[in-house]
Amino acid sequence: MSASPVVELDQVGKTYYNGAVETPVLFDVSCAIVPGEFVAIVGGSGSGKTTLLNLMGLLDRPTAGEIRIESVKVTGLDEVERARVRRDRLGFIFQFHYLLPEFTVIENALMPCRMRGREFELAQEPRMRELLAAVGLDDKLKARPAQLSGGQQQRVAVVRSLANNPAVVFADEPTGNLDSKSGRMVFDLMKRLNRDSGTAFVMVTHDDHFALEADRVIRIRDGRIQGTKGGKG
Amino acid sequence: MLSYFMWSVAFRHLRYSISQSLLTIGVVAISVLLIIYLWTIISGTQTRIVQNTTGSLPHITVEPPERTPLGAWNLPMPDDQSGKLYVGEVVNLPRGLERIEDWQLWMPYLDHADPAITAVSPLVSGQVFMNRGSRRQSVRILGVLQARHNGIVEIEKNLVEGRFLAMNSGDVVMGSKLAADFGVKLRDKVRLTGPEGVALNFTVAGIHNTGFGQIDDGLVFVSLRDGQSLLGLSGSISSFGIKLADLYTAEQVAQKIAPGLPFKVRSWVLDNPNLFRTLDAQSQTRNLILLMSTIASGFGIASILVMVVTSKYREIGILKAMGATPADIQQIFVIEGVLLALVGCLVGVPLGVGLLELLAGIRSVGPDGRVDAPFLIQIEPAVLVGASLVALVTGGIASFFPARRAGKVDPMQVIRGN
Repeated sequence: MSASPVVELDQVGKTYYNGAVETPVLFDVSCAIVPGEFVAIVGGSGSGKTTLLNLMGLLDRPTAGEIRIESVKVTGLDEVERARVRRDRLGFIFQFHYLLPEFTVIENALMPCRMRGREFELAQEPRMRELLAAVGLDDKLKARPAQLSGGQQQRVAVVRSLANNPAVVFADEPTGNLDSKSGRMVFDLMKRLNRDSGTAFVMVTHDDHFALEADRVIRIRDGRIQGTKGGKG
Repeated sequence: MLSYFMWSVAFRHLRYSISQSLLTIGVVAISVLLIIYLWTIISGTQTRIVQNTTGSLPHITVEPPERTPLGAWNLPMPDDQSGKLYVGEVVNLPRGLERIEDWQLWMPYLDHADPAITAVSPLVSGQVFMNRGSRRQSVRILGVLQARHNGIVEIEKNLVEGRFLAMNSGDVVMGSKLAADFGVKLRDKVRLTGPEGVALNFTVAGIHNTGFGQIDDGLVFVSLRDGQSLLGLSGSISSFGIKLADLYTAEQVAQKIAPGLPFKVRSWVLDNPNLFRTLDAQSQTRNLILLMSTIASGFGIASILVMVVTSKYREIGILKAMGATPADIQQIFVIEGVLLALVGCLVGVPLGVGLLELLAGIRSVGPDGRVDAPFLIQIEPAVLVGASLVALVTGGIASFFPARRAGKVDPMQVIRGN
């Protein structure tokens, strides 16, 4: 490994409890994401890939093992501390873009910065304008999400995920809700931003074409890592 | 701490659902208006009722103590236990004996007995017969020191003709109703005969119309000295009347000054228990209406926030995924509740004040021919501030549960499109 990992999972397991019913989803997962790499997580429905992504993104808590973000153990953090790590060090792209309809494109892209304070937001604004221009939305900065196409909205969501200069961006089937042309455009955008910004990307996808273009593919089956292919690490 | 992020999200939520926001603001404004309006009108009406009832009366009356003779059974038993039998009869002393003799000594004391006291008037009162020609009628006379008594009831200001403050010995001042009944005019002569047969001639020096039935219909003012002569009180008086700055403190002041006086001290409150009960019932009804209206506006605020939380479920989830804490999200919705209440106040307070000023301008002619305002309206800043505070606190409380619900939104539920 060329640098210390941005995300490390050490024998992580996850079991859901519903009353007396235990549903184990992940078993003994150990892996690491290094800075700047583009990782695709693939697997069938119910294989546990989204659970893995949620655990890495601190949206969920493991029931076993340890997770470290930038070498800091985050498994024991409380809800507020985890929210702070997400806000300051992680980026997210979801299958449904969920832009805030009351805010303009530029405001949506800057929302993670706004959470950190007005000054930080103002400082990041020129960079976000550039990024939005780079994805072809320079004439839509003042538009509302409802005035954009699905592909354009998802491009805003991708730009938004980079607002805080995160160490890693987690994308949960970001192209799953788009037609193939828009999906390709969004994927290419993510690849380009990954290359240009040096931010690591971890993407859950069903689409093998996209997975093959990742630096590394982590294949999950029945809650276990079945294998990884390629990769910088 | 409330951040720019929270304010901007809260503000946009409300602006984005502007029609619901305006409706809620309307509900809050009406509630604030109702609080201000009802409070002021009912307080004014109560003051008017109390003034009408007590305006012609002193707020506190200082009277001679009742002299109930001791029965033989109350007397101390002789030490000798000789078995003597004491025989006697219980006799109530005539009312006429109850008088204050050393009133000139007590008056300066009463003047300064409490800072709330604005006027002290020595009074001589009793029933006499008034004759004019063949007409003869029993009337009540009040012998007064005019300047002092004018501090209790403003007779001089309400004179239809003649004089009151400058009334001389041998003058009477009476109400317009009594004068009309008797057919007397200014400078006419009447003859008053006291209970012990003392009869004196008087000249009508003034006719007043105070609007108080007790004073206008059957009361005749004479000078203190003439009153004493007619009623055979020589140098004594029947009682003191005391006026206070705030009539609602009467009972308090009465209890405070009573221990220092060898007399009976009564406040108007004790003399008018039914009035007090009526006012109390009225106040409670008012409070109930205000409580209901406050609750209604609280429900209004809560309902719009529940709607916003429900419709913004996904956006809330995304904000939380991006790093907003439950407290951040809760505060957004509390801000929304308080903002709605605040704007409601900013609309409701001027509306309430405007409505009251409109009503304050109305004048009507009463059955006694006096032109008067039907509503006694005094807009108190404390009521405006109080109504606004009630609305703001209601906004805060109403937003609490929707805000808590919003804070609990699970981002994982949302991002899978559930």
